[in-house]
Amino acid sequence: MTETPSFSLISTNKIIQMNDVWTSYDSKSFALSGVNLSIDRGTNYAIVGQSGSGKSTLLKLMNGMMIPSKGTIKMDYQTPNMNNKTFKKMMHTIGYIPQSLGLVKNISVLDNILIGALPRLSTMQSILKQFPEHEIQEAKRILKLVGLSGKESRKAYMISGGEKRRVAIARALMQKPTILLADEIVSELDHVTAREIMDLILDAQKKMNLTAIMVHHDMALALEYANRVAVMKEGKKILEIGVEGDSIVDFQAGDMGIEEIMEMYNTDAKE
Amino acid sequence: MGLVIVASYNVDANPVDFAEGMPNLGIIISEIFVLESLIDDLKYIPTALWAMLETLQMAFIGTVIGVTIGLPLSMLAARNLNSKFVYAPTRALLAIIRTFPSILWALLFVIMVGLGPYAGVLAIVMYTIGFVTKLQYESIETIDSDPMDAVSSIGVSKFQLIRYVVLPESASHLLGQILYMFDYNVRQTSILGIVGAGGIGFFIINYIKFFEYGKAAIFMLIVLITVLAIDWISVKVRDKYIIKSQHGMEVKTK
Repeated sequence: MTETPSFSLISTNKIIQMNDVWTSYDSKSFALSGVNLSIDRGTNYAIVGQSGSGKSTLLKLMNGMMIPSKGTIKMDYQTPNMNNKTFKKMMHTIGYIPQSLGLVKNISVLDNILIGALPRLSTMQSILKQFPEHEIQEAKRILKLVGLSGKESRKAYMISGGEKRRVAIARALMQKPTILLADEIVSELDHVTAREIMDLILDAQKKMNLTAIMVHHDMALALEYANRVAVMKEGKKILEIGVEGDSIVDFQAGDMGIEEIMEMYNTDAKE
Repeated sequence: MGLVIVASYNVDANPVDFAEGMPNLGIIISEIFVLESLIDDLKYIPTALWAMLETLQMAFIGTVIGVTIGLPLSMLAARNLNSKFVYAPTRALLAIIRTFPSILWALLFVIMVGLGPYAGVLAIVMYTIGFVTKLQYESIETIDSDPMDAVSSIGVSKFQLIRYVVLPESASHLLGQILYMFDYNVRQTSILGIVGAGGIGFFIINYIKFFEYGKAAIFMLIVLITVLAIDWISVKVRDKYIIKSQHGMEVKTK
């Protein structure tokens, strides 16, 4: 799990490969400038950085909602692009949880979870909203797994922030994902709830052999839960750390001095 | 202010005529309240009620069919669901439909299908399509983009996106708009009779033409009561369903 990452495209165990990726929201500035990233199958990967460092952009690139202006990305050997029919099939198995969670407010918790099964439904079934019995059972099982038993008929706007995150995770798990992308899913939560949610994801990740890529604001949390941590600053990956248990086993600095990195880590810790 | 004066001169509107016309209103009112003719006129209440019922039925059918056609159109006209090549022509078509007031549609349909309520219903359908679609695509465009993006990222079809995100998220607006539209259509249908398109307006305009102000007043009173009643009912329905969902949103943001 913590082997030295190589940036070659030949390795078979790499589920995500990014080579010299540049993106820009406008013509003047770049959101990402020359990012290389390589993620092994089954890794619990964390991306850490301050606001505007380009970490959310990385996730949007991975599920094809954004396209790089330069460079290549391979997700399981496919180029992400949400308008591409072949990649759309792959999107069915990428669980993406945006920072806003994106729950449908006026429908029930169970219906929100069932949305994850929509790609497996026929057109007729989706018109009539007739989910097969085994999908409903699966949704109820996941509901229990994320600790929302008894809340399936609540409307999504009625539940608490922590519960909303559980619903978003459940929806992603309902997709039977191979990859889970989560954008600052615990940032706004209190310490205890944040850890509950992270334990939940870690548990699901191990059981389903997921590759989880999670964006965090909190360096300590990232080091605690992830196998590998990438640190982003101003659109560049400045550092990648391999973690095993409580110790750092691998430390790769990018094009930035160690003092700057430490300084940044300290500002993160203060927040 | 200057513009108002210039425009008033142009359309020959001056306050003196208005003041001089006041006694005419008095004559009409005194004619309405001649006791024996008033009692005589009261016999027309059942007729007025039947005419009102016809009006309500026209408005109801027109609203339901108009909304049924308008809802899919609004999905095509929403900018956040379609490319320019789909929404631009749809919007152009809707703009053309909206250009004609319902009374002109009624005239057109009277020519096409002949006098009677059918022409009125068709006019209401057209008017409802034009307006409910505009109201609806505007509310679709204000839907939070977060659930749309999140659900699109699963790779669902556009149809599924509409069925599972757009419809639930705009449903409370839709209900309000349908009620508003029905309310409005009842009032509109009441005057469509002027061009022979059925409903209670047909009676009112004919009684006025033959100076039977008392009978016309009875019919107008029925319209007034009905519109007030519908208004009251729609306020109740709104309170029950729409305010509740807004309250829910407040709970969410704390």
